[in-house]
Amino acid sequence: MSSAAEARYRIDAPNSAPRAIKVIALDPRSERVVKNLAQGRWNRATFFTASAFGSAPKQGESFSGWLSDLAGRTKNLIEEIDSADLVVMVATAGENAQAASLIGEACSLKRVMTTGLIMGSTDVSDETLSKTLAQLRPWALMLVIASAEEYIQDMLTALRA
Amino acid sequence: MLRKEQNDLLTQTGPGTPMGQMFRLGWQPALLAEELPEPECPPVRIKLLSERLLAWRDTQGRYALTDEFCAHRGVSLWFGRNEHNGLRCPYHGWKYDHTGQCIEVPSEPSESGYCQKVKLKSYPLVERGGVLWTYMGPPEQQPPLPEWEFAMVPADRSFMSKRLQESNWLQAMEGGIDSSHVSFLHSGELNSDPLFKGSKGNQYNMGDMKPVFEVVESPGGLFIGARRNAENGSYYWRVTQWVMPAFTMIPPRADHPVHGHFWVPIDDETCWAWSFDYKVTRPLKEYELEAMRAGKGIHVPYVPGTYRPLQNKDNDYLMDRAAQKRGDTFSGVYGIAMQDASLQESMGPIVDRTKENLVSTDNGIIMARHRLLRALKAMEKGTMPPGIDLAHQRVRSAAVVLPPDQHFKEAAKEALLVQTGKEHVTV
Ligand code: FES
Ligand SMILES: [Fe+2]
Repeated sequence: MSSAAEARYRIDAPNSAPRAIKVIALDPRSERVVKNLAQGRWNRATFFTASAFGSAPKQGESFSGWLSDLAGRTKNLIEEIDSADLVVMVATAGENAQAASLIGEACSLKRVMTTGLIMGSTDVSDETLSKTLAQLRPWALMLVIASAEEYIQDMLTALRA
Repeated sequence: MLRKEQNDLLTQTGPGTPMGQMFRLGWQPALLAEELPEPECPPVRIKLLSERLLAWRDTQGRYALTDEFCAHRGVSLWFGRNEHNGLRCPYHGWKYDHTGQCIEVPSEPSESGYCQKVKLKSYPLVERGGVLWTYMGPPEQQPPLPEWEFAMVPADRSFMSKRLQESNWLQAMEGGIDSSHVSFLHSGELNSDPLFKGSKGNQYNMGDMKPVFEVVESPGGLFIGARRNAENGSYYWRVTQWVMPAFTMIPPRADHPVHGHFWVPIDDETCWAWSFDYKVTRPLKEYELEAMRAGKGIHVPYVPGTYRPLQNKDNDYLMDRAAQKRGDTFSGVYGIAMQDASLQESMGPIVDRTKENLVSTDNGIIMARHRLLRALKAMEKGTMPPGIDLAHQRVRSAAVVLPPDQHFKEAAKEALLVQTGKEHVTV
């Protein structure tokens, strides 16, 4: 049953529908990367930034008006997350990733899977990287530290974004 | 998913392929030393990276790994006579030495020197740690012998087996870094297998079925950290090592021997799953060795006289539906190695990665492919791929409990490298 000849008979029909993947940059440098990515062709990936909010709203402050798309239009964080299958947070090592906590909280509220991606790890000391990591760790169910910026593109493609 | 061209690129390892070149630039395990036990022992046919080779030992005990076929009319030299310092083709009597050099063509006058014009392709074959290693790349680029820790400890501290896997190397290797399957597929064995049970870490494993992962690049490949909740808000981390292209090392459990694998292509539809177990400071205990020989842990029982697993696709891996229902084994297949192999082989010889639906927890696999593709691109420009540098080989897996804000790569820095004379860091 598992010969090469038999493998040809695997049904050739789509076995999934595209997932809504929301990619959110957490700092200005990540925002540039995400803006670049957004130029590509994607199934159902959309791109946002929370970089204006390096210092996230305090506990109890409103979620609304806290996220923006890449053109700078304000978006409702809760609404966006509610319609996501996966949220990817992109951070740069050594930058403030505080926004992760708010996004992460919204994701756990809405039971949405989160992935954190940290770039630029080779430009900073391990100690600095650890700080960024510690900000993301409580909120990302999968964390990836990537040395190459292209990783995020490869990852999104692998996930059929 | 991968695009078809990418899948082809990573799964094809024959002569002239980029992925084949990556394998050829490093030393690969070719045979167990036990397969060629003494001078003039029977030769062994072995296919590696889609090349059919013959492994043999001459009268002086020198190892030879040569083209399987006679240069005259293409007879398999497996039928050859292992005569004084050479292998003689039984058809017309051409004789070759351990370097593949033809040393006799009986039909030609010896003064003509014709035999000197005939030489079979051959590769170095060197014993280290109970394994015969070969290097199939350009001779001028031959790196120093491998220094994987299991091969450097005294012989009584390490055990190696190999088994035939009837699938492409990549889907086998990806199983080695797919940490999220352990709590499902192998859940039965964590409590019952003599080489796994009784570790504190197993309780964390079973107490928290949804591990969270951190994938971090290492110089030679990847660290894949799986973290689970431990006491008092701390985390139990299991860190798997992947060294490019085909070495994976499972995190340790308690005082059990530490194990890992090489996934070496035989051709594009089969591979050798090399499986090692070792301790650094003590000999393996008799009961451990017995269990390994009996096919426990990551080893398997064989079809007698072969390295093919006794449970194989021809007998549906001796699937036991009642055991599956009872939950003795999650999949109904017995033994950790065959639980993995049965499923990986079921994908077909080369899984069609254009059809898969990876999820976020598959980032270890996604990153491994990304790094392989990146290394292939760099190799084209002359950069040596990771994993050949001896420093990349001096690594360890680890199981540690850490405070919640610590980066395992930093906090367990020493635990992830070979520490001469010290055991693995384990829980
Ligand atoms: S659940 Fe992973 S292959 Fe089916
Ligand atoms: Fe497994």
